[in-house]
Amino acid sequence: MAIIEVKHFNKSFDGHAVHKDVSFRVEKGECLGLVGGSGIGKSVVLRSLIGLEKPTSGEIWIEGEEISKLKERDLTAIRKKVAYVFQNGALFDSMSVYDNLAYPLREHTAFNEDEIQTRIHDQLEEFGLLEAEGKLPAELSGGMQKRVGLARAMMIGPKVILYDEPTAGLDPYNTLKIRETVLRLKKKGVTSVFVTHDMPTAIAVCDRFVMLGEGRVLDERRADELSRKDPGPLERFITGDYGGY
Amino acid sequence: MKAAQLDFLKLFGGTTILSKQVVSELFRRPLYFRLIVEQIYQIGIRSLPLVIVTAGSTGMVMALQFGLGLEKFGGKLYIPKIVSLSIVREMGPVFTCLVLAARIGAGITSEIGSMTVTQQIDAIRALGTSPIKRIVIPRVIGALIAIPILSIAANFVGILGALLVGANDLGLDPVFFVQKVLTTVWVPDFLAGFFKTPVFAGIIAIVGCYFGLTVKGGTKGVGSATRQSVVTSSICILVGDYFLTKFFWIFEQWL
Ligand SMILES: Nc1ncnc2c1ncn2[C@@H]1O[C@H](COP(=O)(O)OP(=O)(O)OP(=O)(O)O)[C@@H](O)[C@H]1O
Ligand SMILES: [Mg+2]
Repeated sequence: MAIIEVKHFNKSFDGHAVHKDVSFRVEKGECLGLVGGSGIGKSVVLRSLIGLEKPTSGEIWIEGEEISKLKERDLTAIRKKVAYVFQNGALFDSMSVYDNLAYPLREHTAFNEDEIQTRIHDQLEEFGLLEAEGKLPAELSGGMQKRVGLARAMMIGPKVILYDEPTAGLDPYNTLKIRETVLRLKKKGVTSVFVTHDMPTAIAVCDRFVMLGEGRVLDERRADELSRKDPGPLERFITGDYGGY
Repeated sequence: MKAAQLDFLKLFGGTTILSKQVVSELFRRPLYFRLIVEQIYQIGIRSLPLVIVTAGSTGMVMALQFGLGLEKFGGKLYIPKIVSLSIVREMGPVFTCLVLAARIGAGITSEIGSMTVTQQIDAIRALGTSPIKRIVIPRVIGALIAIPILSIAANFVGILGALLVGANDLGLDPVFFVQKVLTTVWVPDFLAGFFKTPVFAGIIAIVGCYFGLTVKGGTKGVGSATRQSVVTSSICILVGDYFLTKFFWIFEQWL
């Protein structure tokens, strides 16, 4: 059974259809690359997968549960399973890095403050963020903020991670760090959907690609099927020959 | 014109839905007690200086104006009565809420608005928690507790201001002034002004949160939402004041 299944997803804003009919699935343990031109609606799809956005029509199944008609309150269980890594980290800027990481634990677990501290230390160490612990988000570089956002999303061990351009605007060092983290989580069996414009990283981490355009899925291919000899829309998009619109 | 009507409907519908969400989530755990206390502090204690200055100067000016006007007719002795009644029944609560609509309303909208445009509100939701509970409810409860108390403080400070002017500039005996106030102002007068303050507090907090949560268009959007929030809640307070006054008037007759 697919862990995520999107069926005939349609989404309009003020009568303008961003997505007309998008369907795809993500298997357990897989890393799916979701690509497409700027403004084509990749973030909209990703947001819909945890109910931040409601489809105009169509269905979204997460582990056999149709979530698109769930109430906000009932989405909590889904959001504990499926983590969202925001484009700019979306850290709480009035809280220190420590409190940002403590947030999911304090909300969803019964750990006492000592246990929380131990877990945060382990997490900071794993993500190479130990020196950031007491700082406020505004005191960190963009790359650090993204890594903290990633660490926060991982605090309660989600089964699925949705990455929204995790490497955009990062230097090669931070890009590599993010790439290593994604691969490490993948080894642990975490399923992921990876939205990015950074093709080298996408090719390094994704098992399969879905390309969006014109409100639907334009092309879909396993990573090891990408071919230089007989390029489809996906290959042409990746090499920059084709904008996808 | 059509756009304005649509905006009004959106505002009316949006604030109604938000209020319903607040009520329906109020009794569900967890209740973030610490966040509520923080808001009472932010709204209550931090607004106190502003309220003191506003109320104090209002009381002083009113005493002076009535003093100069009534002196011609030898009616100076009525000053304590007139001024204290106007303050307690009307000026204290309404002026306080108007300046707080600016201070607190702007604060709420700009803070929540920045959280919205930086996706922090989305992050609260994505992490399986509720912005209504964490952000809106503490502000609504904080305002409902702090603003009525501030308005009582404003009543006292306003009358004190009038007393100072009465004693210094108008030659009224302070003891006489206080006696007059105490024999004039009675529970219904106090209630006539005080019962409006929770209503105004609710308006300030809900309108502030609504505009903050619905900000569109980045940092610029935060600026215009803040402006709209202050204008909207000020207008609601002024218009609402008329109806509330009338309502209480009928109620008093009926008693
Ligand atoms: N809340 C909204 N209201 C109105 N329009 C929206 C909203 N959210 C997204 N859109 C529109 O949907 C389209 C897709 O936006 P989205 O952010 O998903 O694109 P994207 O593929 O993630 O682009 P990028 O690669 O630049 O991040 C855009 O044209 C945008 O204007
Ligand atoms: Mg995007």
